[in-house]
Amino acid sequence: MIRKILLGYDASAASDQAMNFAADLAQKYGAELHVLVVARPPDFGDEVEAKAAIESAQRHNDKVLAKARMHLSQTSLPARFHAAVGHPAEQIVRHAETQAVDHIVVGHRGHTLFERWLIGSVARQVIAYANCSVTVVRAQPPAA
Amino acid sequence: MTEIWAQAALWLGLALIATLASIWLRVATALSEIVVGTIAQLVIGAALGGALLAGDASWLKFLAGAGAIVLTFLAGAELDPVVFRRQWKEAGAVGLVSFAAPFLGCAAVARFVLGWSVDSSWLAGIAMSTTSVAVVYAVMLEFGLNKTDYGKTVLAACFVTDLATVVALGFLFAPFSMKTLIFLGVGVVVFFVLPWVTPRFFRRFGGRPSELEAKFLMLCLFGMGALASWADSEAVLPAYLIGMVLAGTVGKDHELVRRLRTLTFGLLTPFYFIRAGSLVSIPALVAAPAALLVLLGAKMLTKVIGVYPVTRRYGAPKKEAAYTTLLMSTGLTFGTISALFGLSHQVIDQGQYSALVAAVIGSAVVPTLIANAFFLPRHLLKQASESESASPAVETPPEAHVRRAP
Repeated sequence: MIRKILLGYDASAASDQAMNFAADLAQKYGAELHVLVVARPPDFGDEVEAKAAIESAQRHNDKVLAKARMHLSQTSLPARFHAAVGHPAEQIVRHAETQAVDHIVVGHRGHTLFERWLIGSVARQVIAYANCSVTVVRAQPPAA
Repeated sequence: MTEIWAQAALWLGLALIATLASIWLRVATALSEIVVGTIAQLVIGAALGGALLAGDASWLKFLAGAGAIVLTFLAGAELDPVVFRRQWKEAGAVGLVSFAAPFLGCAAVARFVLGWSVDSSWLAGIAMSTTSVAVVYAVMLEFGLNKTDYGKTVLAACFVTDLATVVALGFLFAPFSMKTLIFLGVGVVVFFVLPWVTPRFFRRFGGRPSELEAKFLMLCLFGMGALASWADSEAVLPAYLIGMVLAGTVGKDHELVRRLRTLTFGLLTPFYFIRAGSLVSIPALVAAPAALLVLLGAKMLTKVIGVYPVTRRYGAPKKEAAYTTLLMSTGLTFGTISALFGLSHQVIDQGQYSALVAAVIGSAVVPTLIANAFFLPRHLLKQASESESASPAVETPPEAHVRRAP
């Protein structure tokens, strides 16, 4: 039984498709949908710039959350919205635990070789560490 | 002027490359600019001659120096004065330990292991003692600790550490004279008067397109910087203090801070960090790589010895304490400023400068890599050790599946 679904959202094409999938899933199970956006500071930060980057990401996330709110307001789904700072995979797993989430939905998009070497993709890390089931929605290229 | 415009275009081209690299690699732009400066000097120097970058041109030195001053001011202005006033005893204790342990430890290592001179060793101690407040701030936000007493104390302590660094830099190599007393006297008056005058002045005349606020702040920073240099001290010392005393007023004006950041990151700091990088000698580093490894190891070890017990005493769980401690070992801006001060005042030679800057760069990267490798994201998981022993870290659990969206 799925009562709570957590969607990791960043307004990318992949996460838009993940949102559609999560909303569909939540409707089928009558589940509560939690939407999480994560502001990510530079992996190797420095004075002033790291704080500026976090503030900028938080401002961006306000817009992202507003977009998600507007999209989900067209449905009758019970939805809750959260914002966090840190590594996206870490924060998604953390919220899944603290909110006792039954299922996580994340989008998957390309990463640079360096990012993969350093931390792996968000989806891979969520799959590896989540205590619940995970769905990874791959971005579908637009139809020609 | 043609030559100056061409040089400016070259430097800003390098800055653009550095910024693109920082976006791609997700690293601080300062870090990327230092590395690009080093590589550019090596490549351009070998291909077209070392003079082409013209790092010693007076206009370039001014822009670079202004970048260091305004960046330091902005770093000081990030202080939360309310928290600092409430927890100054604890923050002072933690911050001074976080400064003193690497300062004394790294100075001793430089003196007795690397055989540097006394002054060079003190300079190495200062450059290695810094902490990046912003990186620790990010960690506190991640853990949600920024609202707890522990988080606030650690954050305020980082300011104390950096303050101790700039004070040491400002006074350790300056001869104590009448000039020093005049600098101190004027400084004390300015630091007491500014928090009263500035908000009133801005309320009366500010908020116009003429950017009176920026001009007033630059006047204060450059004026006190000139006085500090006249007293053989360092201009970033009054800049950091002015930032701290104006943190409750200017620091709360997010729009003004944002405009100052635009000026700083868009024009000034690229010149500072690329110049700092261009003065690094790769051949010197290759010839004596042990110095940077020894200094980096000493910094991380002394930070852990100094800070970890204090964070544990505040009740932080072991892994969070270790994570916080590792991130307190980072510190790029003040480390670079200290090293460049040493080189420009002939306290250290180019080989020592190269080792110090490389160790500072290492301190911005290695502790974070270790923290992420060992504590991310396992530190948040209760049963990580069990699942790790059962399966490789990235193995897909049976329930996980990948779905292609319709």
